[in-house]
Amino acid sequence: MADMLSTGVSGLLAAQIGLSTVSHNVANANTDGYSRQLVSFGARLPEGQGNYYVGTGVNTVAVQRAYSQFLNSSLWSASSGQGRASAMASLTGQLNNQLSGSSNLQTSLDSFFGAVQDMANAPSDAASRQVLLARAGGLASTFRALSGQFNQLSGQVQQQIGDTVDSINSDSQSIAKLNGLIRSSQATDGTPPADLLDQRDALVKKLAGQVGISVVPQNDNTISVFVGNGQALVTGTEAHALGTAPNMYDATRREVIGAASGNVLSGRIGGGTLGALLDFRSNVLDPAQNQLGRTAQALASEFNAQHAQGADLQGEIGGTFFDVAGPTVQAAGTNSGSGTLDAGIGDIGALTGKDYVLSYDGSNWSMRDTNGSSVALSGSGTVADPFTAAGLSLVVGGSASAGDSFRVQPSRNAAASFSVVIDDPDKIAAAAPLKATAAAGNTGTAAPSVGISDGSDANLFNSSSVVFTSATSYSVDGGPAQVFTPGQPIVHNGWSMQLSGAPQAGDSFGVQANSNAQGDNSNALMLGKVANLGVLDGGVTSAGRAYSQLVSQVGSAGALAGDDLTTQTAVYNQAMSSQQSVSGVNLDEEAANLLRYQQAYQASAQVISTANNIFGALLSAVQG
Amino acid sequence: MRVSTSWMQQQSVGSMMDRQSDLSDLNIQLSTGKRINQPSDDPVGAARALDLSHLTADVTQYQRNITTANARLGLEDQTLSNVSGVLGRVRTLLLQAANGSQTDETRGDIAAEMVQLRQQLLGQANSKDGQGDYIFAGNRTGTAPFASQNGVSYLGDDGQRMVAAGPGLQVATGDPGSAVFADIPTGNGKFAISAGAVNTGSAVAGASSVSDPNANPSAWDGGDYSIVFTAADAYEVRNGTGTVLDSGSYDASSGGSITFRGAQVAFSGVPDAGDTFSLGASAKQDVFTTLDNIINTLRQPNGGGADMQNGINTQFANLDQAIDTITRTRGMVGARMNALDQQSGLNDDLTLQYKSALSDVQDLNYYDAISQLGAQTTALQAAQQTFTKIQGSKLFDYLR
Repeated sequence: MADMLSTGVSGLLAAQIGLSTVSHNVANANTDGYSRQLVSFGARLPEGQGNYYVGTGVNTVAVQRAYSQFLNSSLWSASSGQGRASAMASLTGQLNNQLSGSSNLQTSLDSFFGAVQDMANAPSDAASRQVLLARAGGLASTFRALSGQFNQLSGQVQQQIGDTVDSINSDSQSIAKLNGLIRSSQATDGTPPADLLDQRDALVKKLAGQVGISVVPQNDNTISVFVGNGQALVTGTEAHALGTAPNMYDATRREVIGAASGNVLSGRIGGGTLGALLDFRSNVLDPAQNQLGRTAQALASEFNAQHAQGADLQGEIGGTFFDVAGPTVQAAGTNSGSGTLDAGIGDIGALTGKDYVLSYDGSNWSMRDTNGSSVALSGSGTVADPFTAAGLSLVVGGSASAGDSFRVQPSRNAAASFSVVIDDPDKIAAAAPLKATAAAGNTGTAAPSVGISDGSDANLFNSSSVVFTSATSYSVDGGPAQVFTPGQPIVHNGWSMQLSGAPQAGDSFGVQANSNAQGDNSNALMLGKVANLGVLDGGVTSAGRAYSQLVSQVGSAGALAGDDLTTQTAVYNQAMSSQQSVSGVNLDEEAANLLRYQQAYQASAQVISTANNIFGALLSAVQG
Repeated sequence: MRVSTSWMQQQSVGSMMDRQSDLSDLNIQLSTGKRINQPSDDPVGAARALDLSHLTADVTQYQRNITTANARLGLEDQTLSNVSGVLGRVRTLLLQAANGSQTDETRGDIAAEMVQLRQQLLGQANSKDGQGDYIFAGNRTGTAPFASQNGVSYLGDDGQRMVAAGPGLQVATGDPGSAVFADIPTGNGKFAISAGAVNTGSAVAGASSVSDPNANPSAWDGGDYSIVFTAADAYEVRNGTGTVLDSGSYDASSGGSITFRGAQVAFSGVPDAGDTFSLGASAKQDVFTTLDNIINTLRQPNGGGADMQNGINTQFANLDQAIDTITRTRGMVGARMNALDQQSGLNDDLTLQYKSALSDVQDLNYYDAISQLGAQTTALQAAQQTFTKIQGSKLFDYLR
């Protein structure tokens, strides 16, 4: 009977453990990262009775979590993908919002060039000139506002990189701590407590959402976590912090490094929020800033060039209208030589949206773009013969040491510095400074037009006459005979005269100052044409078109990020469903188990009661 | 498959959120009427929309330019019409003055009116537009182009303001005073004829012309010649050095034409031997000088003779050249306004085209959007109902 009692008690205890586990599962039904726990029972060793064995009850063998390493790993990698996609979608969404405002750059450009044409319609009208200046100011402030928004976003990204690194470090530390706890608290069969494992897995999943990681389980039940190309975050009970450090060219830009090693990890981190932040910064925001800068440079360069072909109300050659920054050069912090680099724009049509690094190997300079592709340099880098590549004109000076390098950002800061130089409406050069006339008795068909080749020439406004001694030779102001090549300009005193048609011997053409011509709008008309003038990309892309390109570039990044988020969310949900189908708590199942263990408990109690009755019956029989 | 209760709940909530976010997007689209609300909605479409609105802005500006140009040309036309009126009156008066019944006194009265007309003409030539710019000053719009001091001198230049009326189309919105008032050819446009100052006969040179140079190879060559009457019925044509080139007879009773080198001059009256008429290449003379000459001619004392008649005829030709110039200029102004009107029509078509393209690119299809709104709302309601239904059926509910 004693056997029956102890068997009953073992059942009672087993049912209790079952009930506790069910309660634990129910209690943790909504705990993030919790894996449902299962009790496994085993029959006790039977007692041999000679011919047979009699069972002695039940043992609780283990309480284990329902868990699949494979499904968990898929979940972690899905979490990295989802973390990256959702951060990317939110960042590109912000950028898109900045470009969706109704007062976009195109509107500003249109109203500016509208004012140019209005001024062409009334060149001497002070009001139309004043409006033009106001619109130019509006255009400049749109450029600066857009650039400011981009910079602000860049600042936010920088801030978020720092915050994410902090959060990663704190998670790594928690994982390392849990590693220690798990290693030291193991059941007799070596299984660590399920709840600690769950906590650690939840942290790993959170970490994976912040940065792409690889997890390697160790024999002592600890895990090691690595990021990028093998930079350790956690090994055993040790956490290795990440940090941020200034970029080698730009101290205001922070890069992610291994805090102990100092290795720059920025280019090697993929996945998670941090991966998205770094990717967004270098592949979406930087190119967008460059494109905006390129737009500003294109507009300023063409408008200024045309403005310098005109004369203002005082009859002086048009000065610089827009001011815009040229390429930014930054020396690497590690440079040991005294080398310097000056960069300017050589050919605006060849300017790209990329950044470049120029480095010196001790004997030669070479250039690479941001993607690491080599860019051929022509020229020798001297003032007389500068290096030219990608529309840049580069002059090296001083003595650089081997390994020294410079970064060149052709257009990064251009939009931020875009401003209007002219503040006096009279200084707008609407008129042509010179006029060319064909003499009345000319017999050839040539019609002259004159432009400015050097506005600073002291004799620019002197009257001159070009006399043809034959169809192919001419002299200017009685000077020596010169050969005339059709299509080639005649250059003198800083002006350049083009002839359309063929001159004959004896023909003469006069060039004189277009004095007092406040009603002349010929340069204003040309300024108006700058709106649609191809400048960039080899002279095919106008400033307005470059802005459309920027919009479509940013829009594409946003649309791509949106699509990616949809995909990654589906992948994540799938991984989560699979993992939860193994590890998640189903309350109906727990309710059934509750009933099951309740019944088992009641039955075992009944066994004990029966044993008691039997024992009572026996006692009363013995007592007689 | 096992289902985790809390995950199922999260997913239900998640799908409700998705539906709500779709609804919020639709709400934005419906309230703005635009399919593209930020570039990522349709990157290519967003760029295309910018390009199209730029093109529309360009054309709108062309239309503004055309309005300004039409105003300027309208003003010029009005002014030229006034000038025509003045010159027409001068011509009428000159015809009257040429009548043999006039006396020195009546001619003086006519001259007095002409002085007024000359003033009026000067005022017209120095007209300003609404912005205070002189319209006949070429590009020197800040300076009165015709200064009256010892005759009238032109202070403007030959500049002509252009306006951009369409892609690649520039139209002149004015004419310089030099072309309209100053550089007017004298005589018949090829040569001018003047009577010798010491002529004593009553011969008067009348209409003159140049024959078509294509038909007549030995055409007018632009040189200086003189017609000398050697008797009342005979003449010689001499060149600048006095060489006799041609000679012929003249019928003094009925008058007649003398023709040489493609030039033809009608004569009437009886010349005296030794009377000369010189022919020179047409020069440029401004309309004010022509008027001054007319006034001076009319004011000659003891007038009414052949010398006055010759003087009047000479100035008549000059005056007609001036009137022709004004008429021609008005014709050009009309042609330009015509061209502008045509371009304006084209621009309107373009605007319509761009706007409809822009609408195709960025505007919302309301039928689509509203039917989507219905579908999305239904989907959200379904998700909500499913959620409450599923959440309502738990085994625990039956364990009582």
